[in-house]
Amino acid sequence: MKLKQIFTALLFALVALTSSAYAEEHKAVTNPEASSVKKEYHPKSLSELAVSFWETTGIKAIFDTNDGEMSADPAGELKEHKLGAFESSFGRIIMIMIVFLLFYLAIAKGFEPLLLIPIAFGGLLANIPLAHMAGPDGMLGVIYNMGIANEFFPLLIFMGVGAMTDFGPLLANPKTALLGGAAQFGIFGSLVGATALGFDLQDASAISIIGGADGPTSIFIANRLAPDMLGAIAVAAYSYMALVPVIQPPIMRALTTKEERQIKMGIQRPVHRLEKLIFPIIVLMLSIMVLPESTPLIGAFAFGNFAKESGVVDRLSDTMQNSLINIVTIFLGLGVGSKLAADKFLVLESLGIMIIGLIAFAAGTAAGVIMAKIMNKFSKEPINPLIGAAGVSAVPMSARVVSKVGAEERPGNVLLMHAMGPNVAGVIGSAVAAGVLLSIFK
Amino acid sequence: MADVNDINNVVEALKFMVLGMGVVFLFLFVLVKVVELQAKLIAKYFPKNTPKIPATPAGDSADDEQRRVAAIIAAVAEFRKNKS
Repeated sequence: MKLKQIFTALLFALVALTSSAYAEEHKAVTNPEASSVKKEYHPKSLSELAVSFWETTGIKAIFDTNDGEMSADPAGELKEHKLGAFESSFGRIIMIMIVFLLFYLAIAKGFEPLLLIPIAFGGLLANIPLAHMAGPDGMLGVIYNMGIANEFFPLLIFMGVGAMTDFGPLLANPKTALLGGAAQFGIFGSLVGATALGFDLQDASAISIIGGADGPTSIFIANRLAPDMLGAIAVAAYSYMALVPVIQPPIMRALTTKEERQIKMGIQRPVHRLEKLIFPIIVLMLSIMVLPESTPLIGAFAFGNFAKESGVVDRLSDTMQNSLINIVTIFLGLGVGSKLAADKFLVLESLGIMIIGLIAFAAGTAAGVIMAKIMNKFSKEPINPLIGAAGVSAVPMSARVVSKVGAEERPGNVLLMHAMGPNVAGVIGSAVAAGVLLSIFK
Repeated sequence: MADVNDINNVVEALKFMVLGMGVVFLFLFVLVKVVELQAKLIAKYFPKNTPKIPATPAGDSADDEQRRVAAIIAAVAEFRKNKS
């Protein structure tokens, strides 16, 4: 017995020895690479030390315009190019100013602070010279590669949005879903505009999705079709979403008469719980049949909504609506911010993106309102044309704006629930539109 | 050459628009129809169980008691009046 024990102990020791020897051998193989990292040091005078320190300061990196610093791209060496004089100096300063402007808008003006603060701070970090934070090994680059390059984070956000969405108002008055379709004209109308301005079809598609007024969808599409413009597209999309209360009301007023704005809508019928439960499945089934290309977005959305409406996994749906979406928002913001590096954002295209985005947004609002006017003409129940503006999918901001404008025209006229129908239909509509664009460039 | 490309792009974009708006509307139209059908089916096979009216409405028991006492007092008073 004892002999056996000793024997096994010996055997173990032998195995341990040989494996450690093997490890040593292995180390020896990799060693040359490791030692090459270690710089050889030779004695320096104090002035030499000061000079070499100066070489590594940010001040020097910014003002010495031709230091040959490489562009930091999360995709790694494939895309690296030497930064030009402008990109590495004044470009950075301008970008840092833009970042401060975004901070101001988010904090003082309340523009989508939940996203603009992480995006802008990511932009600030991405513009630090020498630190390469947006490079493949930097924090922002790691985040970008982890969840944006593979479109994972936008889908998680969509899941959370699904878990937060109540389809009750849409189910109570399904016809209003068509308004959410009309507002997608913003996407395709501005697609034509963007090509007329000289963008190629793929870039134009990525930009025009801003008109869907849906942050995660915009990021999802931009990443597939035009990853270089991701930063500008995301910033434009979220800025315009924040500007909904400024952009939409003038368009809504211009396209409707006072009488139309004062139309009162009836009380919505109560919705059976089963309807709400089955709805996400129906949407998913339809998109599986018609447009599998859009199922990543709609699938995540339907899952979130189904978890909520099932009523038996409140813990999960609560996590999706709160902790998960919050965590992902931090990552998404920082990752998108990495695309605010001067060499990627300060290009002429960014200006075009901002302009086309604004047109897309306005066109979507207008198309929704016009569609609602037409529906009002032919419908038995009155439809207030204002709710068409909620067809852009900025949930729930545009529905609130509609309700506010409606209440201004006729105190006591509450359109919020009626506007929520087209609003959530807009989310589905822009996901479908995104699927169509993806299917074209397949 | 560049000009020709631009023109083509715009025409292509117009085609995208027709396709895209068509698909979006078709999708939502079918969705509306299915949802309407669903609402009808559910209303038929799973009728809303109307909230039952409780047999004894809660909350007014104290009120009831007072009324009962008042009725008894009135009856007794009436009885005595008749007796005398």
